[in-house]
Amino acid sequence: MVEIYPIQQRGFHNTYDADGNIDGFEFRFIPKYYKGLWFTQCRFGNVTVDGEEFSRDELIFEYDGLEYSREEMFDLQKYWQFRTPLIFKVKKPGGLSIGYHDVALQFGWVLNYNGALEKEADGSGLGNMGHLFGNDYARRMLLCR
Amino acid sequence: MEKGHPQRGISVYSYQTLLGKTMTLEDCFLEMYDTGATCFELLTSYIEGYPNPSAKWVDNYWRMCEKYKLQPAELGHWAENHLHRGPGMSDEEMVEELKQDFRLANLLGFKSLRTKITCTNTLCDPEPGWQSYIEKALPYAEKYDVRMQNEVHLPTTLHTPHIRDEYLEFIHRTGTKHFGFNIDFGTFQTRSLPGMPNKWGLDDVSKPEEIVEFLPYSWSCHTKFLEVNENFEEVTIPYKEVIQLMVDNGWSGNLLSEFEGPCRYGAEDSPQKFAEAMDKIPEQVRRHQIMMRNLLGY
Repeated sequence: MVEIYPIQQRGFHNTYDADGNIDGFEFRFIPKYYKGLWFTQCRFGNVTVDGEEFSRDELIFEYDGLEYSREEMFDLQKYWQFRTPLIFKVKKPGGLSIGYHDVALQFGWVLNYNGALEKEADGSGLGNMGHLFGNDYARRMLLCR
Repeated sequence: MEKGHPQRGISVYSYQTLLGKTMTLEDCFLEMYDTGATCFELLTSYIEGYPNPSAKWVDNYWRMCEKYKLQPAELGHWAENHLHRGPGMSDEEMVEELKQDFRLANLLGFKSLRTKITCTNTLCDPEPGWQSYIEKALPYAEKYDVRMQNEVHLPTTLHTPHIRDEYLEFIHRTGTKHFGFNIDFGTFQTRSLPGMPNKWGLDDVSKPEEIVEFLPYSWSCHTKFLEVNENFEEVTIPYKEVIQLMVDNGWSGNLLSEFEGPCRYGAEDSPQKFAEAMDKIPEQVRRHQIMMRNLLGY
């Protein structure tokens, strides 16, 4: 079971390097769409926390115990199971402070109906479903460690 | 003509807002059992481990079908040909994708499919070239004993040109018994509902009598509903007329309750909205099933 919101508070915490130093933070995300997606269909945008932007090309995505870059996702022949969170890992030395944070991200996908086919065939955009479902997600979340 | 005897069923899609959040798949089966429905639609996405579910999942699925006395009716799947950056997929890649779902449908007991072919606008005009890969997939549909169905979904009507000019023409030209139509009852919608995003307008909808011509090419239909009142009447779609036409014309397929009411929209936005969806969705499906029981007489 997952939480009702696309950005999940469960799993929101700082991350540590091999020496025990905080090197970033991570959180989980589920699309709000009614079906699963192939990762090759997915289009990931930047993450913003408290106004600080983290480029989509610096994000690390973890699924099924394996880590991928955004670029690798375009060739990932794997089905993003319905209601299964994808972990977003963000590098930030020192991580986030304990307390509330406004976490936002952009996400879209390419689907075969209810819209024109993707105009940006190089995948630089956010897919072709934004006009129906939006591309912006945000949630205020409480970080404890 | 002998009267038809449609099966009364439910699409698990109706519960999708809650599935994986407050309801398990088994909870959906129990809900469906409670209504007296005898068959169901699943979407490929609701198969854990899709496209390769574990033997354990498949065993449990059949256990649930038996326990809750529900027959598989339709598997909703997608003929997606833009899964990758760059040009669309080749016919061969498409056929492999379709075969994968045919095999899965066969394994899970589904005889009909809601096959979503790529379309290029809100009227769902299919992307040119679809006939090529669908025709190549027909022998496999026959082998795995499944029937692909294009969904006729508002704003598409039964008189939207591509329905006749492309899909019906394809059926007649190939003579196939493995391609047809899932006629979503939303295509007959005559009234709007407060709180619903008015995406398409209702100026041009299908007339009930239009369905008759398409019944020989239809095995499962979505009995779409937006709101069933406390008198067990759907308030936006002329159900009685459409069901009567289906029965009188000898149609004995699967009628699958599919809820798309306003409480689904924005349910993820706040605990209050989600609580409303938790409360309303199962109740609306139950009301709809009582309505269908009243209309069908069983």
